[in-house]
Amino acid sequence: MNISLDPWIWISALLTVSIFSFLYRDNPFYRFAEHIFVGVANGWAVTFYWHNILVPSLFDPLFRRGQLLLIIPFIIGILYLTRFIPRVSWLVRIPIGITMGYYVGASIPADVQAYIIKQTQGTILTSQNFQAWNAGNMGVVWSIILFVGVICTLSYFYFSKEHKGVLGITSRIGIIFVMIGFGAAFGYTVMARISLLIGRLQFLLGDWLGVIH
Amino acid sequence: MAVILLIGLIGVAPPTHVRAYDTPDDGGGSIMVEWHLSQDDAILDGYEIYRSNDGDVYEKVGFIGRNRTRYEDSNTEDGENYFYKVVALKDTLKMYSQASQPVMSSPQWFDLPKLNILIACVIFGGLILYFVYHARKGKELYIRKIAGLQAIDDAVGRATEMGKPILYTTGTGLIGDIATIASLNILGEIAKKCARYDTQLINPHLDPIVYTVAREVVKESYTQVGRPDAFDPDSVYFITDLQFAYAAAVSGIMVREKPATNFLIGWFMAESLILAETGASTGAIQIAGTDRVPQLPFFITACDYTLIGEELYAASAYISKEPLLLGAIKGEDLGKLIIGAALIAGSIIGLLTKLPILNLFK
Amino acid sequence: MKKGLPLILVFICGILGIIQYFAPHPVVQDTDNFFRNNLLKILAAFALVLGLGSLLKVHMDKIKRKRENWQYSWVLIIVFIITSIIGLFGGVTGEGPLPTRIGSFSFDNQTIYDNVIVPLGSTMFALLAFFMASAAYRAFRARSTEATLLLASAFIVMLGVLPLGDRISPHLPSFAQWIMDVPNVAGQRGILIGVAFGILATALKIILGIERSWLGGGGE
Repeated sequence: MNISLDPWIWISALLTVSIFSFLYRDNPFYRFAEHIFVGVANGWAVTFYWHNILVPSLFDPLFRRGQLLLIIPFIIGILYLTRFIPRVSWLVRIPIGITMGYYVGASIPADVQAYIIKQTQGTILTSQNFQAWNAGNMGVVWSIILFVGVICTLSYFYFSKEHKGVLGITSRIGIIFVMIGFGAAFGYTVMARISLLIGRLQFLLGDWLGVIH
Repeated sequence: MAVILLIGLIGVAPPTHVRAYDTPDDGGGSIMVEWHLSQDDAILDGYEIYRSNDGDVYEKVGFIGRNRTRYEDSNTEDGENYFYKVVALKDTLKMYSQASQPVMSSPQWFDLPKLNILIACVIFGGLILYFVYHARKGKELYIRKIAGLQAIDDAVGRATEMGKPILYTTGTGLIGDIATIASLNILGEIAKKCARYDTQLINPHLDPIVYTVAREVVKESYTQVGRPDAFDPDSVYFITDLQFAYAAAVSGIMVREKPATNFLIGWFMAESLILAETGASTGAIQIAGTDRVPQLPFFITACDYTLIGEELYAASAYISKEPLLLGAIKGEDLGKLIIGAALIAGSIIGLLTKLPILNLFK
Repeated sequence: MKKGLPLILVFICGILGIIQYFAPHPVVQDTDNFFRNNLLKILAAFALVLGLGSLLKVHMDKIKRKRENWQYSWVLIIVFIITSIIGLFGGVTGEGPLPTRIGSFSFDNQTIYDNVIVPLGSTMFALLAFFMASAAYRAFRARSTEATLLLASAFIVMLGVLPLGDRISPHLPSFAQWIMDVPNVAGQRGILIGVAFGILATALKIILGIERSWLGGGGE
């Protein structure tokens, strides 16, 4: 046993144990750690935004290097603060509108490309896609199963008709594919999460208590 | 030895047919140089690319290995004329090609290979807007039942009966994540129900902008049902923009305030299961929804109802029954039909012909 | 004006956001760069002020009204103020005017980050190992067809990625991989294509001002 004498290791370790205690039930230690977490996270955010964004991207270039164009983001940013003044609080919609508009617009072509075009390309039955499996003749079978799975899953998301008859059958098959897929994702993640847990235990037993190396 | 001697005596053949052209579909500052291989390509070290402004003095701008016929000079000044020569290189021996025709680089306004994406956006977007427009005319549209949404009334009712609050989180998405916006629309509808039944709403946030919008949305919902005085400004609040600190705090709210119903709807990352399991352990009814496929398995296992993918987007239309929103769903459905048809047609063409059908979807 | 101006801005910015995807021209790409790396980040920084205002108000109220667990609100506020002061005046790694070291003990912003935020975050993350087990048990108890399919596939894939899987049957790892590559991808694709349509519809409604609940009430 070789207990650490570093105060920061002690702080980290006690906070770690406090968070783990939540698995038993809510308790003062967890509440304490939780509130410290939120407090520090916000203090850190203030630091981050100040040192990494406001100073280098706004105040320095605007006030020291005279890049007057930056007065625009500065003024629009300040409009957020009109929220506290009831008579002009509607101005807060301006920075919101700009932010939302730009990101929303940018997502349209990017998502159409990634979610529609690319997924369609990978699903169409062609010899090129058969060979992509590197599974010899089975590539054809895998491609057909994939194709049927995609069409059936898509039919599950057909909203404007009741799921009866053919649509009832295809959407049912679709949901089977979806559930098998979800299971696979679940099973695949288990090991990754266990290794995170092992990482924390190594910190507690190794870095802090020094009982393992 | 003899070969080297021979090369020394007669030299190597230079590359031929050197052609330079402005790199297509780019932001300028780049020229493409192409050539035919030297006849002695097999024994070369490679090719050197030379550039000149006046066709007189040449400077080396790049090197590329043998058996290659193309080089991108991505360091040009737009609007300036350049000549190129390609040099076959063997040890210290260099054989210059003829100079290319003069060429200028320039930026383009449209990236042509993305034309298919533009067309897809126009077709599918147009379809949706067409049906939205038609819906304005008040045609009745049918939407199939969505289990999670039918449970909303019961869930709010249960909270009211038990005198317990409702927790609604939009997740850890920012205002630019469309799932967050869809969630804010649903929040608006649920806030109306809370306002009507006088049920307490708890709505903690990770993103300050989403928080600001959510506050307006909830306030407006209370106003719309005629109970603006019942709106508690502190029911919508910001916690932190750090994912796990947010998860820790919301978990804390779940076990301490013991909401009767938890709505976990929007954009989520790994915190999805932390929240869903903590909520499940308190016995709350949980209705979740996200378009983030990696998180869906966790919601499915730990929540009572889960809106999967597009169901999240259909939800606000479903709850509000607003014809405009319902119209959009009809347009989305037709879009999916087209994709289904494209998959089948593409496969038939792909299997029966040698046409490069996949190139359409690059 | 109060609603018209924001709606016009959403429309213009939305169109700009779309154009930057298709136009490689430097005029467009530089504008995109300005939006993403300057304007929107600066706006986010100002929005944080609103967020912090909200957080502090909620906790001040809690203290004032002595609501349950009000003592912890003090913890949050004090820790927030101390970290902010250290960060603002001490600099990120202690290069600011405020001293962030006493003897060999340093408490600059980066050290606090490494020793408080990182361990707290990774411990929250590690809780998932337990939550996955309890979630799996919950699905097991549900006894529906869907849950059974999900659990069976989860079990096979989990065994397949473990060394143990190979010992049970040499076919297990490749079967697990097959589930990941074929049915899993099929389900995901179907979902994603649907999601794209949902995104497209929602995004268009926002840009064109059809969906305007984000404006809230008050003022035309």
